Amino acid sequence: MEFDLKTIEALAPDQASLSAASKLTKQSNWPRLEKNEQLALIWGECQGSGSNPYRVVVDTGDHGYKCTCPSRKFPCKHTLALMWIAATTPAGFAAAGSTPEWVNDWLGRRRKTTSQPVEPTQGAGGKSIGEVLRDESADIEDAAAVERREAAQRKRAEDTRSSVSAALDELDQWIADQLRLGLAGFVDNSSDRCRRIAARLVDMKATALAGRIDEIPSRLMGLRSEERPDAAIRELGKLVLLAKAWRSAPDDPELRRLVSTSEGREQVLANPDATQVESVWEVLGEKIESRRDGLVSHSTWLLDLNSATSQFALLLDYFPASAGRRSNAFTPGDRFDARLVFYPARQPLRALVADRKGDVPSGDWPDFSLGASDTLAAHVARQDAAPWVTDCPVMLPPGAILLDDRGAAWWQAAGDPHGIALPIADTVNPTLLGLDLKATAALWNGSRLELLAAQSGFGRLDLS
Amino acid sequence: MNEIEQTGLATMRDCWITGGTTFDLAPAAWKEIAGSAGPDERERRLLAIAAQALEIALRPAAPKTLKRRPPLPELALPMLPERLRPLLRATLKHASDTRGKTRVVTLVASRGFVLHPMDWMPAASDQNGPDVYAPWIDWQSGVDGEKHTSQEHLTAENWDDFYPASRRTALADMRRTAPASARQLIETKGPGEPAEVRLALIELMRFGLGADDVPFLQSLSADRSGKVRELAGRLLARLGEHGQPGDGGPEDPTAELAAFIAEGKSGFIRRRTTYAPAKLKSPAQERRRAELFETCNLVDLAARFGVTESDFIGAWQFGADNNADILVARMVAASGSDAAVTHMADTLVAEGGKPALFVLHLMPRLDSRRKRVLVRLILKDTQYLGALNLAEGLEASWLEWADLTNGQALPALRSAVAGNDDAVRRGVDQLLETMGFLATAATAEKLIGDVVAAGMAPAAPSLGLLRLNASLAGP
Repeated sequence: MEFDLKTIEALAPDQASLSAASKLTKQSNWPRLEKNEQLALIWGECQGSGSNPYRVVVDTGDHGYKCTCPSRKFPCKHTLALMWIAATTPAGFAAAGSTPEWVNDWLGRRRKTTSQPVEPTQGAGGKSIGEVLRDESADIEDAAAVERREAAQRKRAEDTRSSVSAALDELDQWIADQLRLGLAGFVDNSSDRCRRIAARLVDMKATALAGRIDEIPSRLMGLRSEERPDAAIRELGKLVLLAKAWRSAPDDPELRRLVSTSEGREQVLANPDATQVESVWEVLGEKIESRRDGLVSHSTWLLDLNSATSQFALLLDYFPASAGRRSNAFTPGDRFDARLVFYPARQPLRALVADRKGDVPSGDWPDFSLGASDTLAAHVARQDAAPWVTDCPVMLPPGAILLDDRGAAWWQAAGDPHGIALPIADTVNPTLLGLDLKATAALWNGSRLELLAAQSGFGRLDLS
Repeated sequence: MNEIEQTGLATMRDCWITGGTTFDLAPAAWKEIAGSAGPDERERRLLAIAAQALEIALRPAAPKTLKRRPPLPELALPMLPERLRPLLRATLKHASDTRGKTRVVTLVASRGFVLHPMDWMPAASDQNGPDVYAPWIDWQSGVDGEKHTSQEHLTAENWDDFYPASRRTALADMRRTAPASARQLIETKGPGEPAEVRLALIELMRFGLGADDVPFLQSLSADRSGKVRELAGRLLARLGEHGQPGDGGPEDPTAELAAFIAEGKSGFIRRRTTYAPAKLKSPAQERRRAELFETCNLVDLAARFGVTESDFIGAWQFGADNNADILVARMVAASGSDAAVTHMADTLVAEGGKPALFVLHLMPRLDSRRKRVLVRLILKDTQYLGALNLAEGLEASWLEWADLTNGQALPALRSAVAGNDDAVRRGVDQLLETMGFLATAATAEKLIGDVVAAGMAPAAPSLGLLRLNASLAGP
């Protein structure tokens, strides 16, 4: 069944959703629009405000739908926009022979209802697409208002800066207190102690730093008890360095991002100094973690396949945990041609997809000439430039996964049984123990390795 | 980091753990950086230096006990093409249990591919998956050491060089081609194996079972394991050999079972003997009867009534008591001779209707021709289509479109798909999964088109196995 605008009107939860959807109907918002007529499905990826695109699929037969955005409106504006495009410019959808895995996932979980598709009704509860189209006259802001808004912004930035400065003073004192009282006690009570100082930092607008401190207890608890004091020294020492760096350059975008708030997507895209890299990217893996501050962080790690050395990018989004579980935005192993814009930083890593051009067939990773130098050389280089960084992506040379006598997994370089071995954070799939890894992409946090993906004799392995 | 710094760092670390100031313990170079500030600031500076030293100058110490598993062996078939892996993973995810997953794996193997080890691995105890996975089963069973999974001929000398699953596969092959050699190997090496392994070895005797095996099986009546003795007794029974003769008294299980069976006569002109289940008085009696059917052999029971196995089956009144019919079918499957099994299957299939479904219990003993005949019968009849989901030991990938059109199976499927009854639809989903396993690629393709035209959602997960089947049609 094809969509018509009346049906979309009937499905929309309110007039505001229709208005929001209309703004997303430009094809430029949708780097991917595909359909499978045999399966009566249309799907697409919408570049919203986050780093990761939202994935939307609609069953044109019964109007079932799914979107990965955290909206509480059903259907959300992305779903409505996808239907809208299907209704107005169906030729924009490329025919696809098979469905991507995320669509299959949804189909597998979905409980088909016997209810009939929504039919357009007269009036549609006061919602009207015609009204949306009429409202789309340009919003013109007068010059005085712009001036007032900018002045208020400057005032807010000044207030935030002085508040954050005071917050860092408190943090310094708190760190000195922890050292005086003993790190043994800090490790034992890290949950309460970190919560208290994090709450103070939130009050004083050092929100990003508060979120980081809130996560220290869980990072410590992920280690064996004998490793925790060293980890506490590392965590607190990095905070000292970060606070010092911020004081010396409070307007530095990287430091502001790590201490108070991050700039918006539009600001990054408009920043002429932001590094831009056009290349073929492979999705290495994703990490979705619930944080103590009620947010869920969603990290997608990408590998630059056109670079001579291993270069990575991170797409990072936060959304409230109360929005429920979100489906993954990418499938590990996906490859696409895109222009990425990196958030300004000493060692740029966090990025946004500015322009996605199309998918690229999968294959082996290029030869990054691994093996000769120190396995953690990339980590050391990153620490030299930005010593406050915790997780560092690394490309490991040929190696294998081994178990110690406690059953914990380690990665070790091939052909060097007495060489460096790096402990792995989680339990590994036992099958991995029998595979020779030609190259492994992972995150190193100073004490544990989190595996993302690897190349092996059995092809690409998804390890995230 | 030099030695002085390392020692200084260790002392400072100990001091911070218990609490206190470390300035006096710090290496001179570090003191120089921290020195000019107040006491708290000095500690923070030293902490920052120590943190970086820990972060970049030290590496985790690799334990000496790190153990490497042997490399996962490559299998004899090529890996499923990458483009089909998403569909395969979706199908595996949808398969609710091990049996369902094994079907997917078997179908893929029947088309000449194996799965990626990160998509599916057989369990160490797996005995139902395709033989091609034997090297992975052995790898899974985690035997350390340097044994090799050899493809060479199994002999008593290289017996220990084979991992258990490879040995089992090799022995099963030998039993089909050279049963006497395989028997001699089992006879020679079996006594040295634990009871569990012995049982698995004797179980392989069912392949190519013949009169030559009788002396060996009889010798197992002295085996230490009760399970081995019982299995050997059943195999002997299949060869028409009677078990230990009972005394006919109340302690004789065959006599006790016979008491649960009523002998009668039917027919006016030609009187013939019939056997039917006697009426039971209590659930306890029903339980006891079930136990006896499980432990007694068909040949002994038939002898008790003074008839042959085939005569007994021919005279059994199917349809009188469903539970008793199932018990008889199971007993025939477990201990009936090949002739008795085929006689029962042919008789019931020829009769058709509900009694034919009892043949499902005989499936593991039937040749593929008879299995296919039964499946076709069930499809043609359509009244008991659901029974198809119960069939065990079926082969993958042979069902032709004509098998579906030769009866009412398709119209029945179509009307179930078009209907609104959720229970019926669930049954259809299961049936489509079974079809996905049985059908040829061309049949799968046509069936998808047919049920979608009848109203099934084209993307329904229950069509997953059919879609995988259809996409495995060729290059």
